[in-house]
Amino acid sequence: MAPKQRTGIGGKIILGLTALFFYLPILYIIVFSFNDSRSLTKFSGFSLQWYERMFSDRTMMQAIVYTIVIAILATIISTLAGTLAAIGLSRSRRALRNVVEQVNNLPIMNPEIVTAIGLLMFFSALGVNKGFLTLLLAHIMFCTPYVILSVSPKLRSLDPNLADAALDLGATPLQALTKVIVPQIMPGIVSGALIAFTMSFDDFIISYFVTGNGVNNISILVYTMSKRVNPSINALSTLVIVLITVSLLIVNLVPIIKERRREKE
Amino acid sequence: MKKLFALLLAGTMLLSGCGGGGEAAENAVEKYGSDTLKLYNWGEYMGQDLISNFEKQFGVKVILEYFDSNEMMYTKLQAGDAYDVLVPSDYMIERLIADGMLQELDIEKIPNIVNLAEGVRSLPYDPANTYSVPYFWGSVGIVYNHNNVDPAVVEEQGYEILRNTDYKGRIYVYDSERDSFMMAFKALGYSMNTENEQEIQDAYNWLLDMNNTMEPVYVTDEVIDGMITGTKDIAVVYSGDATTILQENEDMSFWMPNEGTNLWSDAMVVPANAENPLLAHEFINYVLTYEASLDNSEFVGYASSNQEVLDELSGEGGLFAENEAYLPRAGYAKDEVFRDNQVLKKTLAELWIKVKAAK
Amino acid sequence: MRQFRNMIYPYAVWTAIMIVLPMLMILLYAFTKAGNDVTTFRFTLENFARFFQDAVFLDVLKRSLVIAVVTTIVCVLFGYPIAYVIASGPEKSRVFWILMITLPTWINMLVRTYAWVGILQDDGLLNRVFALFGIGPFHMMYTTFAVVLGMVYNFIPFMILQIHTSLSKMDKSYLEAASDLGANRVQSFLRVTLPLSLPGVLSGITLVFLPAVSSFFIPKLLGGGQYVLIGNVIETQFLTSGDWNFGSAISLIMAVIIMVSMYLTRKVDTDPAASGRRE
Repeated sequence: MAPKQRTGIGGKIILGLTALFFYLPILYIIVFSFNDSRSLTKFSGFSLQWYERMFSDRTMMQAIVYTIVIAILATIISTLAGTLAAIGLSRSRRALRNVVEQVNNLPIMNPEIVTAIGLLMFFSALGVNKGFLTLLLAHIMFCTPYVILSVSPKLRSLDPNLADAALDLGATPLQALTKVIVPQIMPGIVSGALIAFTMSFDDFIISYFVTGNGVNNISILVYTMSKRVNPSINALSTLVIVLITVSLLIVNLVPIIKERRREKE
Repeated sequence: MKKLFALLLAGTMLLSGCGGGGEAAENAVEKYGSDTLKLYNWGEYMGQDLISNFEKQFGVKVILEYFDSNEMMYTKLQAGDAYDVLVPSDYMIERLIADGMLQELDIEKIPNIVNLAEGVRSLPYDPANTYSVPYFWGSVGIVYNHNNVDPAVVEEQGYEILRNTDYKGRIYVYDSERDSFMMAFKALGYSMNTENEQEIQDAYNWLLDMNNTMEPVYVTDEVIDGMITGTKDIAVVYSGDATTILQENEDMSFWMPNEGTNLWSDAMVVPANAENPLLAHEFINYVLTYEASLDNSEFVGYASSNQEVLDELSGEGGLFAENEAYLPRAGYAKDEVFRDNQVLKKTLAELWIKVKAAK
Repeated sequence: MRQFRNMIYPYAVWTAIMIVLPMLMILLYAFTKAGNDVTTFRFTLENFARFFQDAVFLDVLKRSLVIAVVTTIVCVLFGYPIAYVIASGPEKSRVFWILMITLPTWINMLVRTYAWVGILQDDGLLNRVFALFGIGPFHMMYTTFAVVLGMVYNFIPFMILQIHTSLSKMDKSYLEAASDLGANRVQSFLRVTLPLSLPGVLSGITLVFLPAVSSFFIPKLLGGGQYVLIGNVIETQFLTSGDWNFGSAISLIMAVIIMVSMYLTRKVDTDPAASGRRE
């Protein structure tokens, strides 16, 4: 937005402090994953035992896969659904909009346990077998409101005549949507997707009550382990950090490498 | 260091001791009707190789889910989720029996029941093991740093030490209405299953006084880490957790108050809607074997329900020989077992919120 | 501009099934007493009376709202400058920093909060660093400071994301127009940038305030349990004492209070006179 493109010294200090604030605990987690004792707060020596434990624990490895798969699916679906709903919402009558917006806030506002118990009763009233599908449905249910909440402000500042103009000029509604509206609200969609991914990745209570058949995610393991908590959860987190960093690097580096290759040819 | 050694020891023992996997029963489906067992247990409550050894030996697959409170488990169970084996605590088993949610065990299919430790035979909630077979057991006691707190004072004052302002700001209190009211009831000389309103009121005042004068920190399982690092000097904890604390921090001692304590046990049960009860019996029987119980108890630090393992670990040269928290006190008249009483539980839960929110 | 109006209906149906129906079940619990089954339940207001007749619960509710408000204010105060600095950088660094801010939230909340215990405690990391400079030790664990810090750490990424979203892709012609009209940087920020980013700030507030009111894990771990917040009380009702009726009633009371305050906020937001005054 701003006219200048270089971050000034003040900005650099702010960013530096932000990074410190966000990554101090992360560093702490990584360091303690190598702790020799079971403490999460007192370092007594270097060891790889918690990694050994994690890799030999089938349930933990499965949980990582489930968490990632569910988070990706829930993010994609809820981002699509949420964006469409938000656009529809911005065009609909005020009364309907108010109702949907309030209902939309419910999953964000209610304590997770309330949503969880509600869904638990709902699924068992339906008599469905709990497992992967119920878990995914629940995640879509509580992720979509965040997408709507992120996209809506962008829509509000969007010039409503833009899409109309496109339509007048002969664009199909789909074209008007994908070529005119979506690019304008893209930052909102991206931040909605990021938040949805976070919510899905980190959810414990709702997931716990809607899952079954041994489908566990990382949070379920971490929280139910709290009885005798030990650094294997740090090892697990470190592995997640590594996985995410590597995939982000790949996503960011692959285009660069491709480009370089093309240049060489 | 001791812990590391223990882990190594457990590891080598299991590697060498459990070669039986080779002759695994190949036709588990034929034998049990299905080759998967759904186990619902506390998190981090099993020896590291228990499941893989069981799977190898019987040629089956175990699906694992965990809980961290009896009520969480109960909620899922009530919603109709089916499991083959659960490991709830005493009072919850009593409730499950009353609700008709458990099935009777076929003791003939559990021959290893003869291995049960003295201390967990004929427990009040299920005296004849009709529905349940104990898994771990223990008591609740005071862990304290003997460098900063005189053992004589702890032994003389018992739970009252939590109201001794000499130790203000240096105590952890377990954040659960059950355990905190147990402490107060016992300190006052009442039964921890009391329904007497005056006694409940007294206990409430006792806790309120503690809250207002002692600056306690309310914790649940963080207490283990906190006491290992020596952040505070006094905490009331489960004996099994105390075992871990004492193993890791030599400054800590354990005392079971003379006023009596909560004698608890977690036991394996088979829900009425279990899909594979035959394999469930096989699993229960397997847990009672020497190898499985040893793996469990060494790794988790809770007292085994297998007498031989209990004797070995607490006896001379045993892993927990020097650990005064490992072996629970059996047969002490003032010790009690929690009974299921949902009305009382609700009352206490509300009072407990009021204690914590005061100030 | 009616073209896309129909797109709301699938979602409206979905919310009716997945959000409203389960909530109705909770509502049913809030207005009934334990021991009833579907055929015999009788409506009662007892659960609500129990809440309002007890000063303790009202106190807890007040405390929760105060902590959530403080957290939200801190998140705006710190989140805005951070988002502003990020948004004013070049495209590549924007993407990088947004990922930097989001990545920590993908680590389990419990694990992250545990790390703060290690950092804040009396012989923790921070106090050791302070000791190098000959200051401290400061007692930080189990204080309001620790609780707010933990909440801010957990929720501020949402604030930054939302504000950043509203700042990026903002129409630059406004700013150019402002400077053409002779406004200096502070003026153009106050008159152009800030008002245009307000929708983002508001949805950031929603995203921080709502979960902060009902959060229960952070106050439990960093506040040492003395910080009983409404989220703890509700959680206890469902998971410990098994009193679903009372738990449902409390969450309903909370939902109503929050909805009313959200409604008022939005009124301020959409009321042109009010937003004009704010400028």
